[in-house]
Amino acid sequence: MAAMTDLFTRVPLARRQQILTLLVAVAAIAFPLIHDNDADVDSAANAAAYATLALGLNIVVGFAGLLDLGYAAFFAIGAYAYGILTSFQVMPHWGPFWQPFAWLELVQRVPNPGGDLVHFTVSFWIMLPVSALIAAGFGVLFGAPTLRLRGDYLAIVTLGFGEIVPIVVRNVDSVTNGAAGLNGVQAPRLLGHSFGIAAWPYYYVAIALVALLMFVSVRLRDSRIGRAWMAIREDETAAAAMGVDRTRTKLLAFAIGAAFAGATGTFYVAKLQTATPEMFGFPVSVMILVMVVFGGMGSVWGVVLGAVFLQLLQSWFLEDISGWIHDLGNLIHQPWMLRIDLTESIELIFGLILVFMMLYRRDGLIPATRKQSALSFEQQHAEVRRGGFTALAGLGEFAREGHTGLEVKGVTVRYGGLVALNAVDLTVPAGGVVAVIGPNGSGKSTLFNVITGLTENDGGVIRFDGKDLLGLPPHQILREGVARTFQNIRLFTNLSVLDNVLIGQHARLKTGPIAAVFRPPGTRREEVAARVWATEILGLFGNRLLPRATQTVGHLSYANRRRVEIARALASRPKILLLDEPTAGMNPAETMELAEQIKSLHALGLTILLIEHKLDVVTRLADKVVVLDHGEKIAEGTPDEVRKNEAVLEAYLGRGTLAKGTVDA
Amino acid sequence: MPELLRFQDVNTHYGDLHVLKDVNYTIGQGEIVSLLGGNACGKSTTMKTIMGVVRPTTGSVIFDGVAIETMSTAERVKRGIAPVLEARRLFPRMTVYENLEMGAYTRKRGPDFNQDLERVYSLFPRVKERLNQVSGTLSGGEQQMVAIGRALMARPRLICMDEPSMGLSPLFVEQVFEIIQEINRQGMTIFMVEQNANMALSIAHRAYVLQTGKVVLSGSAAELRRDPSIREAYLGELQVT
Amino acid sequence: MTFSDLLLQQTINGLSLGAMYALLALGFTLVYGILELINFAHFNVFMVGSFIGMWTLQLMGINGQAVVMTGLPLIGVMLVALFVTMLLSGGLGVVIERLSLRPLRNVKGPAAMITTIGVSYILFNIILLTVGADSKNYPNPLPPIQWALGDAVLRLREVLIWVISVLLMLGLHVFVQRSKMGKAMRATAQDPEAARMMGVEVDRVIIIAFFLGSALAGAGGLIFGLYYNFTSFIIGFTAGLRAFTAAVLGGIGNVPGAMLGGVIIGLVESMGGQFIATEWTDVIIFSILVLVLVFRPSGLMGRVAPNKS
Repeated sequence: MAAMTDLFTRVPLARRQQILTLLVAVAAIAFPLIHDNDADVDSAANAAAYATLALGLNIVVGFAGLLDLGYAAFFAIGAYAYGILTSFQVMPHWGPFWQPFAWLELVQRVPNPGGDLVHFTVSFWIMLPVSALIAAGFGVLFGAPTLRLRGDYLAIVTLGFGEIVPIVVRNVDSVTNGAAGLNGVQAPRLLGHSFGIAAWPYYYVAIALVALLMFVSVRLRDSRIGRAWMAIREDETAAAAMGVDRTRTKLLAFAIGAAFAGATGTFYVAKLQTATPEMFGFPVSVMILVMVVFGGMGSVWGVVLGAVFLQLLQSWFLEDISGWIHDLGNLIHQPWMLRIDLTESIELIFGLILVFMMLYRRDGLIPATRKQSALSFEQQHAEVRRGGFTALAGLGEFAREGHTGLEVKGVTVRYGGLVALNAVDLTVPAGGVVAVIGPNGSGKSTLFNVITGLTENDGGVIRFDGKDLLGLPPHQILREGVARTFQNIRLFTNLSVLDNVLIGQHARLKTGPIAAVFRPPGTRREEVAARVWATEILGLFGNRLLPRATQTVGHLSYANRRRVEIARALASRPKILLLDEPTAGMNPAETMELAEQIKSLHALGLTILLIEHKLDVVTRLADKVVVLDHGEKIAEGTPDEVRKNEAVLEAYLGRGTLAKGTVDA
Repeated sequence: MPELLRFQDVNTHYGDLHVLKDVNYTIGQGEIVSLLGGNACGKSTTMKTIMGVVRPTTGSVIFDGVAIETMSTAERVKRGIAPVLEARRLFPRMTVYENLEMGAYTRKRGPDFNQDLERVYSLFPRVKERLNQVSGTLSGGEQQMVAIGRALMARPRLICMDEPSMGLSPLFVEQVFEIIQEINRQGMTIFMVEQNANMALSIAHRAYVLQTGKVVLSGSAAELRRDPSIREAYLGELQVT
Repeated sequence: MTFSDLLLQQTINGLSLGAMYALLALGFTLVYGILELINFAHFNVFMVGSFIGMWTLQLMGINGQAVVMTGLPLIGVMLVALFVTMLLSGGLGVVIERLSLRPLRNVKGPAAMITTIGVSYILFNIILLTVGADSKNYPNPLPPIQWALGDAVLRLREVLIWVISVLLMLGLHVFVQRSKMGKAMRATAQDPEAARMMGVEVDRVIIIAFFLGSALAGAGGLIFGLYYNFTSFIIGFTAGLRAFTAAVLGGIGNVPGAMLGGVIIGLVESMGGQFIATEWTDVIIFSILVLVLVFRPSGLMGRVAPNKS
């Protein structure tokens, strides 16, 4: 457990962050008290509103990596939801139906000569969460058909939705008052007092909203949900293979991002007491994107800073700077300088920011991840334990629960005209180790892909533990206890070793978005257990991975990446482990070390299906060898039998005399 | 035999990954030299380093007496290095003829272009039959013929082949290897990455064995076939006795 | 006007719009085919192209619709305007690629797309800040010749637009199919690494794709001005989105597909405006975009969109 405590005792940094947070909070609360200027407080309140928008977009773009160019649509939805339900725009006829709502003070009866009318008076405090829910609903509605699309298509479709929403708002003027905009929207009331037009109450609501959404963002980021988002951002296919439901996870990001915007929309309209379609067009979506990019995609503090800075730049600084330029122009007699008005060129500045940030500082002002230095010699050798398998008893139990093994029958896969697999049969008995060998391009990896649901098949049956796998999406196949590694290593490169292994457990953990935010005791226990389990798994590889648990995977050596990938698969508590060339790129010593470790896993009760070129590894591990060539099974048997098989010799070593010449030599 | 290509202490990195480690190769004019090794040992990186897709971090690649490691791929092709890529990599929606044209991309179109076409047709009569077919619809074997033909259209002095046997039926593998020998007899130098070790050693003059980015064995093909240590290093993984 | 005349009139209008969208769509498709990048800068290259065309015509002494030309002088003026517009717009595309996109060639993720949004914004605001927000009366030397087809009217400018567009598209098609550079372009789109190994200088191919795409967008911008008699800093956004929809509809990366998509979107716009309602045009077009992307991402004529995985 020494390593466990090691992971948790990185206190100094956390302490420093706490102090900084406290200072910022105090400054934010004190600002209107110290600086008694209504216009400036109003600007600060707007800046805070944009910070909440940036936080929402950051969940979509920064965490989940989905480029949303129509984010302002959700802002508009939240704004109009509140606007319509608190203004005189929509006034149905009064009837008994409305009476209960009147008692709840959601509506008022307005006397009218032609029959009494209903005036909606839903409280701001109710609408704040309700608008968030409505916007989230639209997020799901827009997202469901489009989230399957490639990233760049998604961008253009969201741009489309971002355009459609203001157009619809403009066109259905009976509900929205069209281009003229909603008027007479109620100001919020608290304890019987209306907020009115003073800036400071709005300011405090806004910074409370920022604080709340920052808290939610951080909690989500550091949870099972946040890890799943980042996994999808890094490598969608690998995420699916590790048990992440892509569509659901993306929809969740979309919905939560939309909810943030919906709540902000309500706040914004309550503050302005008006709403027009022009307030929510493409330029607003881009402005929020600029804030996120500027502050740092994925960085909670970064996007808040980005939003506040850019918003205050517009409302405070640009005018001042323009003034200074004019003064300078007067001073040095350059009349052209007097014509410069930077406030008009804010969008030009946005454009420049986007380009310069992408070219020179893609991580933004406050990068989401810090660069880590390589381990020192001491750190590398601090942990001397090698292969602590006894601690993995949990894995063994899970694996021994008893299953009937994997059965592949007549599976065929075609790519265009090419037959990658032709009616392949294969069984892996529970607790067995089966190796698949064959020349490159013989269909081995295709076999893995079809078993794990990454490739569609053209006929055949795949059953695991009596359950049909064909047609199941990859994340459900993992749930059934089938985990894999990839020949070309598909790790989440920008995440730490620990996070990679934690994502492996995704399917075995339960934390949903709500639990992630509130962290009830059960969730805390689950998270701690997940980390303990991850550490145990890393411990499998002795001092290879444990000291590097917090390092970014992209900085590891080839052999260590292979190990992390196996650890990630093991973390999902599989019943069967599919290893695609686990020793490729390893030297003989590393190869033997890994072979021993795989053997130990097997001894714990894990069933293993292995693609391997190195025949000595195969001989050492496998009970049975299946030989593929041109997508067909050409031989099957014990390692000894297979080595003596003529067809295998030909496939692998070349035909006839050529092969014999070497064999005899 | 005059030297045509030489790697001198070449190191190659992908980001933090050190792929080729102080690698030295020498390939003489008119030779077939084979590069053997398991997956992910640096074979394809070697090919990419020769073609200039990857630049060595240190060390030198010398072709025909000139250091080429900083030259663009196009410059190298002009100097006479042509590739036969792994898995053929034809342009799938272009016709066979257009693929052959692409092979001659760096050359001026002159009468020798037609001579070279004729030469390809004589080596691969099947290619001539399929000239106007879109290459994505060819069989694997036919694609390999076009890929080799495409390399020949560059009028190279060195052809680098990356796993020419991959995914081909055994019968066709033999044909391909015969054609490689035939081209070699006509004077072409060939550097070939191949996992089909016995086949490769049966036609190569010399070979290098690569393991985790290092050359662990080298020598004449005949020597290597007899060398017991090759079993440990490479064939050992395929040991059959 | 009878229904059939109305239909004929809207077909004429739709084909003119479609020709413009097709020219613009080709730029998206050329760049996407090679880089798999949605180039948002293209929206405003079109807009800038429209201004370049305006300035070129003004430099030749044509202001507003006052100067009317016929015969050879008209053809000459048109050719010069078209040539200069295309050359400068193409040059703008090259500068954009060289300065802002080439450094990001090997960067994964949305960085390049975000950059093009930034560039688009920069172009938009440079024009806004220097030229102003009001729409400009576009110089147009075309004589007001028109032919009555029943109640429908076919104007000389429409015929001219069709001729220019068809010639440009034919030229592009021949270039892509026949020329050495065109073949290199297709090869690069299909397999950039293999193309590079054949000795193709991929950077040059990309530059040329940007040049051609931007030049065609410039031609589209000139056509916009001649068709509507005005131009403004805001024209890029709507036209760009419609043209992008056209490219997707035809099958992005597919040159004939972009032409077909352009014509369909042009007809949808004119017919939709006539028979449904103008204010819903954009909603209809975006719905087409979403439906195509969801149900037939390869478009009407396209190959299956390559999977970035």
